[in-house]
Amino acid sequence: MYGKLKKQMDCKRYYPALKTLEQLEHTYLPRVSEYRFTKVMYDQIVRLRDGIKEASMSDLKDFLENIRKYSSKIGEVAMQHVADQHGLDPTFVSMPEKKRKAPPPPNPFTGEAEATVTDQETNIYKDGDEELSAQELVDFSPVYRCWHIYNVLGAGEEFESYYRKQRKKQAKLCLQPATNMHETLDGYKKYFHEIIGFFVVEDNILHTTTGLITSGYLDELWEMALSKIVAVLRTHSAYCTDPSLMLDIKILIIFFCHTLEGYGFPVTRLYGLLIEIRDQYNEILMKRWKNTFMDIFEDDNYTPITLHYQAEYTAIVTIFPFKDEFVEKSPFPKRFPFSEFVPRVYQQVKEYIYACLKFSEDLNLSQAEIDDMVRKSTNFLLTRTLSGCLSSLIRRPGLGLAQLIQIAINTEYLEIACIHLEEFISSITGISREATHVAKLQGKSMFKDARSHAEQQIYLALNHKIDEFMELANYEWTLVESKGHASGYLMDLVAFLQSTFMSFTNLPDKVAQTACMSACKHIAESITNLLLDHDTKILSAGAIQQVNLDVIQCEQFASLEPVPGFTVGALQMTFSELRQILDLAMSDDWSSYLADFGKDRNKYSLVSPQTAVVLVEKISNGMKKTGVFTSMKKPEKERKKLLETVLKQLRALVNSSAMM
Amino acid sequence: MAKTYDFLFKLLLIGDSGVGKTCVLFRFSEDAFNSTFISTIGIDFKIRTIELDGKKIKLQIWDTAGQERFRTITTAYYRGAMGIMLVYDITNEKSFENIKNWIRNIEEHASSDVERMILGNKCDCDDRRGVSRQRGEQLAVEYGVKFMETSAKAGINVEQAFFTLARDIKAKMENKLASHPSKGGGTQLKKNEPQKKSSTWKCQLL
Ligand SMILES: Nc1nc2c(ncn2[C@@H]2O[C@H](COP(=O)(O)OP(=O)(O)OP(=O)(O)O)[C@@H](O)[C@H]2O)c(=O)[nH]1
Ligand SMILES: [Mg+2]
Repeated sequence: MYGKLKKQMDCKRYYPALKTLEQLEHTYLPRVSEYRFTKVMYDQIVRLRDGIKEASMSDLKDFLENIRKYSSKIGEVAMQHVADQHGLDPTFVSMPEKKRKAPPPPNPFTGEAEATVTDQETNIYKDGDEELSAQELVDFSPVYRCWHIYNVLGAGEEFESYYRKQRKKQAKLCLQPATNMHETLDGYKKYFHEIIGFFVVEDNILHTTTGLITSGYLDELWEMALSKIVAVLRTHSAYCTDPSLMLDIKILIIFFCHTLEGYGFPVTRLYGLLIEIRDQYNEILMKRWKNTFMDIFEDDNYTPITLHYQAEYTAIVTIFPFKDEFVEKSPFPKRFPFSEFVPRVYQQVKEYIYACLKFSEDLNLSQAEIDDMVRKSTNFLLTRTLSGCLSSLIRRPGLGLAQLIQIAINTEYLEIACIHLEEFISSITGISREATHVAKLQGKSMFKDARSHAEQQIYLALNHKIDEFMELANYEWTLVESKGHASGYLMDLVAFLQSTFMSFTNLPDKVAQTACMSACKHIAESITNLLLDHDTKILSAGAIQQVNLDVIQCEQFASLEPVPGFTVGALQMTFSELRQILDLAMSDDWSSYLADFGKDRNKYSLVSPQTAVVLVEKISNGMKKTGVFTSMKKPEKERKKLLETVLKQLRALVNSSAMM
Repeated sequence: MAKTYDFLFKLLLIGDSGVGKTCVLFRFSEDAFNSTFISTIGIDFKIRTIELDGKKIKLQIWDTAGQERFRTITTAYYRGAMGIMLVYDITNEKSFENIKNWIRNIEEHASSDVERMILGNKCDCDDRRGVSRQRGEQLAVEYGVKFMETSAKAGINVEQAFFTLARDIKAKMENKLASHPSKGGGTQLKKNEPQKKSSTWKCQLL
């Protein structure tokens, strides 16, 4: 009997051993109770029972230790299986093949090849077919034996709590990913394999034991795990800046979900997380596309595209929706009004839309949801990324007029093409643009804004050129007599404006008009400022004459309609104030100025009293100075006196209008 | 208004489209280079002030479009130029041969005493060279003008070229001033005003 017991123990047949003990205790020993050795036997039985308990526990501990190592394999196999079912190449969810065949390097001390760890530990892991399920992969008998024995020994609760506690510890370990998990797809695979492995094992325990764990307990454990997984994935995916890695991570998460769903674990929250990750993916795409747009702008030659052959023409109209009868009918070489960047930008927006869609595949989303997402993120791309790129392009210092004008023209054609982008999205998602809930693309208004920004910069760039000419102006404020012709700088300036408006034949009429108007205004203002500049104290009659000659040139320029489409006199109006100032200064007509001030019919209505004060001061200063060198003659003295009186009255006028 | 310069020289850049006129000017005015070819529309200019023998000289450098379609607009600028840079591209033989035509244009439209200089640009591209240094030199000698090979990209000789042209214009001007002192304010010198500060108006009146 004892021999039988010993044999059973050695073969880890603990339950039969217990039975044998029971038999011994309850059937055989009572029959020999009168013998003294019976007492000894009873004591022995207690010890043997403890021994059995310990032995089964020790096996369980081995199991627990090993299962940690094999969980990952179990998870991998489960995931591969699901991938296969869904028609995905199972290697996508697998860890890369380890070089299993390669022998380990010899021990550096003994020079002998050592047995690999896996060789020693295959006792739990039945190798062979990769298609094996958890039960087939792993020998669960230590758990069953131990659970059974503890129950038999009335220590079921003790075991249950021990097992659950140990497994919870293990769950915590496998839920904590490697800190560099986000770096590679394999990092994510490893994490998912272990988690799946853990829950597959627990699911197996739930179904093959009675009461060791309950479905309530397992659900709770899963809930805890799910929260942790969501948090971990959220953190780690945030590090990712590579959209293609993100797409791969998405696929892994989906198969992670599918696998666990197959075991009945709810995964809805993970789909929610995927939507979050998708937003982040879109953000990454936008950063990428920002660089793409900047490169396109960098490469562009800001020259209308010229097409020499039909093939070139076709190549562009197939990627960019542009139909123009005039261009179509004109012979080669044809010209498009826009430069390269128009079709390239358009094409890239489409590429972005494709890239966006990629993430939404397999997310169980409705067409309407996908449509909404694509439109929203396309809007972001247009109104944030592209708009920002355009704006920094337009603001770039040193950008020439030619480029600014081309940019303004380009945005017009992109604006027109927006409608085709809408149609493009509809054609993919099947949701018509007219559907009520559909968000409209804001591209049109964005391009409109960019254009008006570019136009604004055209006016500024032109003004800047005018400023450069103004710096060459070299008025001699004490000139006795004018040179008899306009100043060189001004002739050059006018000629430059004329050539500019002649050259930029592609400038839209409206922009050309505004540019011309703003240029004239700027010239008038600049000359007025020179004339009234506080740093020059003197204004001689000759100098006034010279300025007058220059302004006559400007007026002529304005009257010759450098760009068509102005209403008669509109452009000359820009010089009216300056004209009145000069007329007043040249005519010495101060009495009229003072008498008519504030009246309807006033020749000098545009000249403010402040301006008049400055003029009279400067003119009178000029006289004073001359007095130092020449003895003033009588009429000069009288004129000087007159000017002083005029000045007094003008100052009074300034004061009274200041008080009003 | 304090004057910021002593002389104003107007220079002109001419040559075939693509030889690098705009780039040479950009190198001279901004000390930078851009490799994308943005062909000039009509005419543009840059201003840079340099100092020669203690004199502040403003160079207003006109950059013309090489493209044929702007020819009428650009030739109008020849007359006012005091110095003209004829630019060709050493990797483009055609642009070199055209220098003769450009010189004919100058003879037709520019003032007879305009200073000229020939530049063989893109000399950083020696591997793609189509015009030897000697041929450039030979042509310059034939026309009696100075010659330099430049690179806007590598910043070779650009500064020197403009300084040389400016110096020659200045010397010619001072020569003329010395021989006809009364005509000191002639066309080229209308902005020349050697005296400055408080004495200016006094002299004007006396
Ligand atoms: N390698 C090299 N390339 C140059 C150099 N200078 C200009 N380029 C290139 O040549 C091309 C034409 O330069 P531009 O300066 O725009 O030519 P351009 O003479 O002004 O041409 P138009 O305005 O059409 O008359 C550009 O792509 C420049 O990058 C140079 O010194 N070396
Ligand atoms: Mg150019």
